[in-house]
Amino acid sequence: MELSGEYRIAASKAEVWAALNDAEVLERCIPGCEELDKSSDTEMSAKVALKIGPVKARFNGNVTLENLDPPNAYSIVGEGQGGVAGFAKGGADVQLAEDGDETILTYQANAQVGGKIAQLGSRLIKSTSAKLADKFFANFRDALEPQEENTEG
Amino acid sequence: MYETKYHKASSVADAVSLIGKSDDGKLLSGGQTLVPTMKARLAAPSDLVDVSGIADMHGVSISGSTVTIGAATTHANVAGNADLQAKCGGVACLAAGIGDPAVRHKGTIGGSIANNDPAADYPAAMLALDATIKTNAREIAAADFFVGMFETALEEDEVIVSISFDAPAKAAYAKFPNPASRYAMVGVFAAQTVDGARVAVTGAGDDGVYRQFDMEAALDTDWSPNALAGVQVGSEGLLSDMHGDATYRANLVKVMTRRAVAGCA
Repeated sequence: MELSGEYRIAASKAEVWAALNDAEVLERCIPGCEELDKSSDTEMSAKVALKIGPVKARFNGNVTLENLDPPNAYSIVGEGQGGVAGFAKGGADVQLAEDGDETILTYQANAQVGGKIAQLGSRLIKSTSAKLADKFFANFRDALEPQEENTEG
Repeated sequence: MYETKYHKASSVADAVSLIGKSDDGKLLSGGQTLVPTMKARLAAPSDLVDVSGIADMHGVSISGSTVTIGAATTHANVAGNADLQAKCGGVACLAAGIGDPAVRHKGTIGGSIANNDPAADYPAAMLALDATIKTNAREIAAADFFVGMFETALEEDEVIVSISFDAPAKAAYAKFPNPASRYAMVGVFAAQTVDGARVAVTGAGDDGVYRQFDMEAALDTDWSPNALAGVQVGSEGLLSDMHGDATYRANLVKVMTRRAVAGCA
């Protein structure tokens, strides 16, 4: 399944690029992320807890950065095992474009799930994935625009 | 299933205290969603706090035009309540069509709305009737309660005690059930309330229950199925899955709304 979106971020392209490569920022932005440890510049291991209605599964997996084209684009890919719950795999191609003082981030994401979690949740996987992708990029924008978050909150 | 500690709460305060003390506990009412999820090992709460035995949370009471339903009232008891059938038959009929007999005799109204499955029936009635959801801590309007797919305004340790709403002049629920699960492919609750026409849709929106405002406006002008003829329902924001795509569901929204309005007593 394919998902896409666009965000305008009030920060320079260099700042956005740096944040996209910062494990601490990513940890704060990945929905349900409990731990993200960097093993190299492009490889991280992650613990992510997913809660969708009655389902609660904890995934152990890897996050990899691929197709790096600094500071214009990369792909972020994650996959994890949730024990008996099954597995989840997802990725996003991210592009950055300068627009004055601001940066426009566009993404195309895809997600796959398998095992029991897919069996039970097949009617909901698309909306859940769309929501998670949207949440990640919204968190990411907020992480770079702390002032706006304060005035809203 | 994984090991879990079962607690039978004797009162609302007891339930709040038990869930507060638990490590990763869940409230259990009828268990028609939670228990199958646990059996599939997709949830493993440390503690289960059963609220189904709390006397204050049972039954339907009607005072003037206000209907109050205890959160642990089963769908069968809502469906079979003669006073409710007379006062607001639409809600009784809705309860009579949830799931199968086993689900209706165990599942509860509080459990259904707390889970907020995007295809559950009750959320449509709650939203259309501007119901008030009373918890141990506060009262929440239905419009604020249903936040999104499987998401509500409830805190982790908050217990729904009852649901109340004003009986509308007319109301009916029409659903196109998935033939296997009986969940709503699309379900529409239409009501003529003191605040005007209300049309709430479940099963169709990819973020849960929502109101179809253009249809409400058309029904405010003329409360009849024919008034809906000119209203176009777009497929944007609607669910697509193996059972039907968004365009199919958009058409069902229109058909089910016409049926609900035609079925209003």
